[in-house]
Amino acid sequence: MTLVGDSPPAQPAPGARAGASTLPRPPKPAFQIGDPVPLASDRHESRWAKVKTATVARAEPRPRARPVGHLSQRTPEDTTNLVPALDRAVDRGGRLWVRVRLPVLPNNTTGWVPRRALGGYGIVHTRFVVDLDALQATLLRDGRPVMRVPVGVGTPAAPTPRGEFYVRNRLTSYRSPFYGPLAFGTSARSPTLTDWPAGGFVGIHGTNRPDLVPGRVSHGCIRLRNRDMRRLGSAMPVGTPITVR
Amino acid sequence: MSDLTLTTLDRDGALLEPLAGLHGSTRAEFLSKAALGGATLLAAFAAPPDADAQSAKRDVAILNFALALEYLQDAFYSEVERLGGFSGELGRQARVVGAHERAHVEALRKVLGGRAISRGRYDFRGATEKPEAFTRTAVAFEDLAVAAYKGQAPYISDSGLLVAALGIHTVEARHAAWIRRLAGSSPAPNAFDEPRTGKSVLTLVARTNFTMKTGSRRSPRFTG
Repeated sequence: MTLVGDSPPAQPAPGARAGASTLPRPPKPAFQIGDPVPLASDRHESRWAKVKTATVARAEPRPRARPVGHLSQRTPEDTTNLVPALDRAVDRGGRLWVRVRLPVLPNNTTGWVPRRALGGYGIVHTRFVVDLDALQATLLRDGRPVMRVPVGVGTPAAPTPRGEFYVRNRLTSYRSPFYGPLAFGTSARSPTLTDWPAGGFVGIHGTNRPDLVPGRVSHGCIRLRNRDMRRLGSAMPVGTPITVR
Repeated sequence: MSDLTLTTLDRDGALLEPLAGLHGSTRAEFLSKAALGGATLLAAFAAPPDADAQSAKRDVAILNFALALEYLQDAFYSEVERLGGFSGELGRQARVVGAHERAHVEALRKVLGGRAISRGRYDFRGATEKPEAFTRTAVAFEDLAVAAYKGQAPYISDSGLLVAALGIHTVEARHAAWIRRLAGSSPAPNAFDEPRTGKSVLTLVARTNFTMKTGSRRSPRFTG
């Protein structure tokens, strides 16, 4: 039996011994971290990559497959060359390959290049659609039209090629009223003007003859009125896919 | 950082800009100083040297540095998820951690408002497409994030901001433990985390060509 007088002296609770009763409350966070954010829908995303090292594009994702084109690091305008990344595959040796759209004739050619020849991926949410019959172009963002403008396109003798292409670069501050204030370089090439300087690439540009837009007036390029071109210049990033139909 | 360095990843200097900002110099000046020796870069992650800088301004700089790291991680895990190359536990880790990193980005951008730095472009050199490279890089990124938050936290003057930053810091530490376990490494190898001394960070100055040239002033030679 334990007598009251034999009880050991009362011990402070462990928390009290550590001074817990005098600890301050944690400060309130200055901002809240919200719930985890799921990845947004990628239905209208397109991926591109820069060409890091010059390489041969091949018909299949293997080193000895038939060459279908050559990719250099720079464009004729001395900008970084880039290509849309359409698909990926791994060969028997475990090497990663990427199927890309090529800026070569015939238009709409695609080929496989080693992943290591490309740089990091970029993403765009835009698409530029040119309707040759309606003489109209539409810029889509996330699948929705954000700009619709009349265009000048190629004559029957030098037609604007139909197919899938992409924006390669953006040219500004040059001195050529013929091309207006701004021009986009594309991967599309004229099938008829093959001896044109720099390879006969089709551009999207302004004009010093707005009276000819809309119309079938160019050597294949897509001409916009200068006001429309300025708007497009700030809305369409490099890497944007182009559909000409 | 396995076969990746911050220099090769940070094509736009998105990490260098805020790091230089912490030190009150331009990116070029910072790189010039850093090129003199790796110790400068270690110190950069450890403490801003200008102790007299206005505290609020410094808090913004620190939060922007954190945002730069979160952008990097967001881009990394989001690219993995978009490419969809990983299945199983690795794919799940990338999805879950990516959603956390995007939440961190959202929160930091919101608190910084117009002072938030812009998002950079990164070259992950295939690490988002190959499981082994992904695992190595994710371990490096998470360890880097933990070290970066820890290095800057003592210099945050606003206790409310500090509490929020520590809330992210501990989550980054959980991410690090998770990916370390998947990599077959010990989630917590030491009883005490030393300041980061990874050589990968020191190779920051190895190359300077981060950007892509997408614009030109050359006269067009298109078909017209």
